[in-house]
Parts: sequence; C-alpha cells; structure tokens
Amino acid sequence: MDKNDLIIRVAGEGGEGIISTGDFITQACARTGLEVYTFKTFPAEIKGGYAMYQTRASAAPLHCQGDTFDVLCAFNGEAYDLNRARLIPGTAFVYDGPGGDFEPEIPQGVHGYAIPMTQTAKEMGNIKAKNMVALGALSLLFNIPEQALREIITAKFTRKGTTVVEGNLNAFTRGRELAAALTKTDPWTLEVPDSKRDVVVMSGNDAVGLGAIIAGLDFFSAYPITPATEIARYVARHLPKRGGTLIQAEDEIASASQVVGASFAGKKAMTATSGPGLALMGEMLGMSFMSETPCVIVDVQRGGPSTGLPTKHEQSDLFLAIHGSHGDCGRIVLSVEGVADCIALTVEAFNLAEKYQCPVILLSDGSLAFSTQTVPYPEPSSYKLVSRKRWDGHGEYRRYAITDDFISPMADPGTPGGMHIATGLEHDETGNPSYTSANHEAMQAKRFRKLDGVVQDFAPAETDGEGEADLGIIAWGSTIGVVREAIARLRAEGVSVKGFYPKLLWPMPVEQFEAFGASCRKVMVAEVNFTGQLAHFIRAETTLRPESYTICGGLPFTPAMIVGKVKEMLA
Amino acid sequence: MNCAQTHLHKVQLETKDYKTDAKPFWCPGCGDHGVLTSMYRALAEIGVDPNYLVNISGIGCSSRLPYFVRSYKMHTLHGRAGPVATGVQLARPDLSILVNGGDGDGFSIGGGHMPHLARKNINMTYVLMDNRIYGLTKGQVSPTSQRKMKAYTTPYGGVEEPMDPVLYMLTYGASFVAQSLATNVKMTAQLIKDGMEHKGFAFISVLSQCPTFNVIDDAKYFKSAAEELPAEHDVTSVDAAMHAVNVAHENGRIPVGLLYRQERPTLDEYMAELVKQAGGSPDYDLRKIIDLARP
Repeated sequence: MDKNDLIIRVAGEGGEGIISTGDFITQACARTGLEVYTFKTFPAEIKGGYAMYQTRASAAPLHCQGDTFDVLCAFNGEAYDLNRARLIPGTAFVYDGPGGDFEPEIPQGVHGYAIPMTQTAKEMGNIKAKNMVALGALSLLFNIPEQALREIITAKFTRKGTTVVEGNLNAFTRGRELAAALTKTDPWTLEVPDSKRDVVVMSGNDAVGLGAIIAGLDFFSAYPITPATEIARYVARHLPKRGGTLIQAEDEIASASQVVGASFAGKKAMTATSGPGLALMGEMLGMSFMSETPCVIVDVQRGGPSTGLPTKHEQSDLFLAIHGSHGDCGRIVLSVEGVADCIALTVEAFNLAEKYQCPVILLSDGSLAFSTQTVPYPEPSSYKLVSRKRWDGHGEYRRYAITDDFISPMADPGTPGGMHIATGLEHDETGNPSYTSANHEAMQAKRFRKLDGVVQDFAPAETDGEGEADLGIIAWGSTIGVVREAIARLRAEGVSVKGFYPKLLWPMPVEQFEAFGASCRKVMVAEVNFTGQLAHFIRAETTLRPESYTICGGLPFTPAMIVGKVKEMLA
Repeated sequence: MNCAQTHLHKVQLETKDYKTDAKPFWCPGCGDHGVLTSMYRALAEIGVDPNYLVNISGIGCSSRLPYFVRSYKMHTLHGRAGPVATGVQLARPDLSILVNGGDGDGFSIGGGHMPHLARKNINMTYVLMDNRIYGLTKGQVSPTSQRKMKAYTTPYGGVEEPMDPVLYMLTYGASFVAQSLATNVKMTAQLIKDGMEHKGFAFISVLSQCPTFNVIDDAKYFKSAAEELPAEHDVTSVDAAMHAVNVAHENGRIPVGLLYRQERPTLDEYMAELVKQAGGSPDYDLRKIIDLARP
C-alpha cells in the first residue's frame, strides 16, 4: 500500500523531554503545511514512568493515529522493551547509544541508528539537552523541517535567555551532525509541501475550551479530574479576557449546581468532567431538565468503572450520558470525532442548550483529550450562535407556558414582572407545585416534546459511501476517524463497505439509522467499551440488529483492527 | 461598623408587598412562620426590589419558604441551595441572594458545601432554620438533634453527638455569624436585615421549633435556654465568638445575637478584579485567543 504519511514515536522516561520533543516535531510539521494527528500516553505518576508521544504527519487529511509507527526513537531501555514487538521489518529505530542504559538487538529488517544522546548531552555539559540531540538526529534522518524546528526551539526557550537558547540549538545541530555521519538505509522521509495552510494546532481539551468561549461562555465551574482538567486550564486562562469567570468548586455536585444557578441568572454556563464526575451530576441533570434551565456538561470519558483507568481511553459513558439521573429525564447527547468537532460541537452544545432549555452532554474521550491535531482556522464570525428565547414583557408571565413548540420563554432575574420560580418539584405553567396526574402527564409531555425538533435541527449523520454495501460500520466518537481510514483501505481493495458516523446520539436520529441499515447487508458497531453501548441503543431504538465489535484495553482501535474484523465478517 | 451596601436595586415597599398568594404550608406553631414574618420585615426595612431578589432553597419543610416570598426564586435539590446560589451570585453580582434551608439540608446532605460558601465569602445571606429534626420525612434525627432523642429511626434514643452550626461557620470563615430564635421576630428580622446589608457571606442560624416531631427542643425550651450576648461582646473577634458559644454550651445555654462580623473582599469582587487585570470585555477580539494556537 502506498503511504503518504509518516509516523514518528518518541518514547522514554517522563521528565526526559519526551513530550516537548514530540511537540516540537508536531509544531514544525504543522508550520510547514503538513496535517498532524498526535497520540500520547502519560505515566500516571507525577515524576518518572514511561511516556510516549507519537506524531503522524501527512500532506493529506488525517483521521486517526494510524496503525503503528514508522520511526521509533527510544530514549531508554524501557522504551525499547515496551515497543520491541512493534519493531517490524522496514521500521526505522533511532536509539540512545552508545552510552545509553541499553544495548538493543536490531531485529531483522529494521533500520537501526545509534545516536549517543546521553553521552553527547553530557559532553556538552547539559544533560537536559539530550532530547535536542535526538531531535536533531530525527530532523536530519527523516526530513523534519530544520528551519521550523530552529524557530520553534528559539521561541520556546527565549524566556530563559540566550545561553539556554544557544545550548539547545547547539545540541540540535550536534544531533544532526551525528546523524549525517550515519548511512541512511530506510525509506522514510517527510514530503514537505511548499504551501502553508491557515490552521491552528490544538488538543481536544483546549479545543473544547475554545469552542465554549466562541459560543459566548460566561461562567465555568470546574472540579479537577483526569482527563478533563485541561479544559478548565484553557478556560481559566482565556475566559477573563472576555469578561467571564471560572470557579473551582468543592466537588462535581457543586459544579453542576453552580452551572444551573448561573444559567438561571441568564448566563451561558458549563462544566467539564469525566465519568466519575458525571455520575455525581446525575441529580442536577434532573433539576436542569425539570426546571428547564440550560446547562452544558462535557464528559471526557476514561476507562471505568469506578476509579478505573483514569489516564486511559474508553467510550463507556454512553449509558450514563443518555440515561443517568432518576425519573424520566431528557437531555441531548453529542459526541465528537476529532479536535475540529471539539470546537464546532461545543458551540453547538450551547446553541442546543439555549434553544431547548435542557441539559446537553458532550462526550469526548481520553485519546482525544490530549491528541493535538491541525484544524482549519476557526474564524469566530463563521459560527452561528443561539441565545435562549426570552419573555417579551407583554401580558402575564408564565415561566412554563405550554407554547406551540413547547419551549417557554425565560426571564432573567431583574426583568420587571418576570418573577418566577425554577423548581425541581413538578409544577404547573406558573411554576407552582402541582401533583395532579393530568398536570404531570401534560408537563412531562411538554418537556419531552420540545425535544422533537432536535433531530431536525442537527446536521444529519454523515454516511461514508453510497449505494448498497455488503457491510456497514457504525462508529461514534474518535473511533469514527479510525473507521474512515479502514474503509478507505478496504474500498481500495474492492471490499463493499460503508460507514455511518452519528454525532447526535440522543435523541437518536432513528430514521437516519434505519436508512443506513437498509442499504447494508450486515451492520457492525465498533466502539471502545465492553458492553457495546451504542449497539445496545441501536437494538433498542431501531430495527437494526448490528454485530458489536468492542475492545476495552485502554487504547483506541487501529485501522488494521477494523480491516481485519471486516474481512472476518465478510469471509 | 459601617458595612457596604450591597443592594443596588431598592424600592419602598411594605411587608405585605413581599407576600405571594401561596399560603405557608407549615404546621400551626411551627417556628418557620416566625422566620418568614421576620424575612418580610427585613426585606421591607431594607427596601429590596423583589425583581432583583433571588430566594433560593434546598429540600425540607423550611425549604418551601421561597414559594411565599415575592421574588425570583429557585427551589433546588436537597443540600444544593448553597452551590446553586453561588452560581447565581457569581453570574449576577447585582442581585440580592437569600438562601433558606434546614439543618439536615445544610449540615447533613449539604454539609460539604458550607465551608466553601463561607471561606470564599460568597455575597449572600444564608438563613438556617434549625428545628433539630427532619420534619418533611416525619421525624428522624438530624445532625443537630440532641443525643437522647427518640425518633423515627432511633426508637431506643439517638446515639450521636449533635453539632453546633454556628461553631462550624465560625471555623469555616464566615464573615457574618449570628443566631436567633424563630419566636423572637424582632431580633430575627434585625439580624436578617444586618446579614443582608453585610457585604459577604452572612450566616444566621434561627432555632425554629418543630411542634409536630421534636418534643425536646420546643419553643419553651429554646426560650428558656436562649441567652443574649452581652453588649460588650466583641463582634470583630472569632475567638470571642467561639468562646461565647463554648461557655454557653457548658452552661446549657444558647447564645443569641450577632456573634461575629468581618469585612473582607467577596469572591465576586476578586473575580471582577481578575477580569479587569486581563483587560476583560465581551468585545475582546477572539482572534487574539485563537491566534495563540497557530503552529
């Protein structure tokens, strides 16, 4: 198969500059007009532990992290041990030696390059520059744009003074010299396009923060939780510039409560958490739905249940997002495919919350949280923003008036004549408690029927491919990107396969699922959880009877896994 | 002491103007009637504009109070009035925030929120209506129930030591702490008024008898045990306040009056300062933020 991309994995001990090396490679590639898609794993420990940063770069669009690396750069023996099985023939392997803590065996067919990273950095009197030696060598061997790297290194260390900048640049140059003395035997070289593109490079978490700020966020309540905390960090840094504020609450219960309070007060408010936090917010989801108070909650899913695998990837909060909370409690659930979605669908989450006056949950996931990707420049004026319907001041105000579209105008505190109560008790149109059967049935119907318009409002789920197919693959969240790539490969091999990528998961666009299912002989749902959660909802809500393909090992699917499964199913 | 006036929107109204058409649902003889009367009086005396008043409660007998007060209001979830009110207050610092709730609501299920309302000095007035029992669920012991109490789930008598909310609030850093009896409308109204005029988190514990389920802590007991703080009590000293409460405890008495008052910046003031330093404005060019993510 033709490859027009390059995947470089840098691995070693946390604290050795693995992450910054990966960041430099990523930034340099993006700066020279390449698309990037990164994939990282962090140690759970604060200091030390295995860290890995993989950059995939290409002149063509990228949808996922790929199958495996083409180039491995190992800073230590542990990195070598953990990745040895993936050193398949054709792979390039750059390692610390001589003078490192390990002496690798180079497997048959692997192109080994020994670069004395530690030793050179020591000789230069700056052990911290070990990663710069490695970066220089990688730059020369695989054509990672040298000039861009030099600019980025300079910019990164300018704050620390010219001595530090020069020390790092010298180590980088020395790395290039060491590599130049070796004979390149592998085929891997970055093809750098000559045109720059108008892009930003962001992580999924930062992009959610940006999306919220674009949407007109006024108030954010945070409680620290892996892997969602960076959203709060981004918002804390930038929201004050727009006049808004972030508060760190005492727990997730308080976060959700503060969001509902701020929203009642007329402001756009949100919180971001992971599964354990969303579990605690269940009661306030009910309050938001019952009192018809807009509220946006982002759940960056991690491995569960319970404390689970906090730093690992999983898509296992769909049951919780759709049905968490007691009583019949409606809400809107969206999920994001990649970083671009993290911006666009966060804006959409606010628009839907404002329009429908209900909780909106946006599902992201662990691999996307830290994955940095190139995204076309998000021009703020290109987003349509929606604000809640507000009372016009005429006549007598009834907060929960049953209108034609079941959406009742709101009144911000301070509006003369608009005094009302937002209550979790069942109530009549004025807000007064009412427990009659007729009233409860009418008001539940009002709260649910107002959501009837959501499916119409939201862009139809994308179908990848046309006509009839032997197999249709349904995926959600970041698995979509993996399926896109798998389908492209399968199609190139002549396999008849289609994809369906819903991003509005609740209310479910049932007719769209049905139409897709009708065009496929078999349907498979690929998702990263044990129980097949989306497959469950498809079986419950539609006539489709999909086969469930699930993994839950803390890592995303690879395109090769999907390709293999499809071939097995069609055999 | 001259505390900052926090009510930006004032009107001239009478107590009846703060009443709604809803009739209080409490039992005859319930202390909550007295708290409500005191609140009407305090609101009228200050002249709070009901359009800019947000009355917020959790769940319990006392948490029904907002239905009887003309204002914007939220009847939230059990224990969550404090954080919901925090959201309202930080989003709209121009509003006057009044929270009502019981001992179970505030110090059992909502107990985790109380330290943070106090230490963050959220600008609101929190009126605790402490009947030392769960009333709405028909009489179970609460964190403030006396140990010997026989009740719904303690047929052999309670075995847990009670807590004293005012001691906790002093420890948590509340900037205004007072205590009163529901039967003393004059004092309660005055303390609620002072609390509402106080800039910052004001906590007023009102001992509010439950004649239906709590036969130990009845109005007669509260009256006999109550002891007004002496005129020379130093309201600027946390030590003095805690000492007064501890001495009263030793003598089987309940101190009433203003225990403590301190002026310090509120959280919304700190946040406004932060926005100011950032040059914050809704017109700030978003592109300047987005450009930071260019490679």
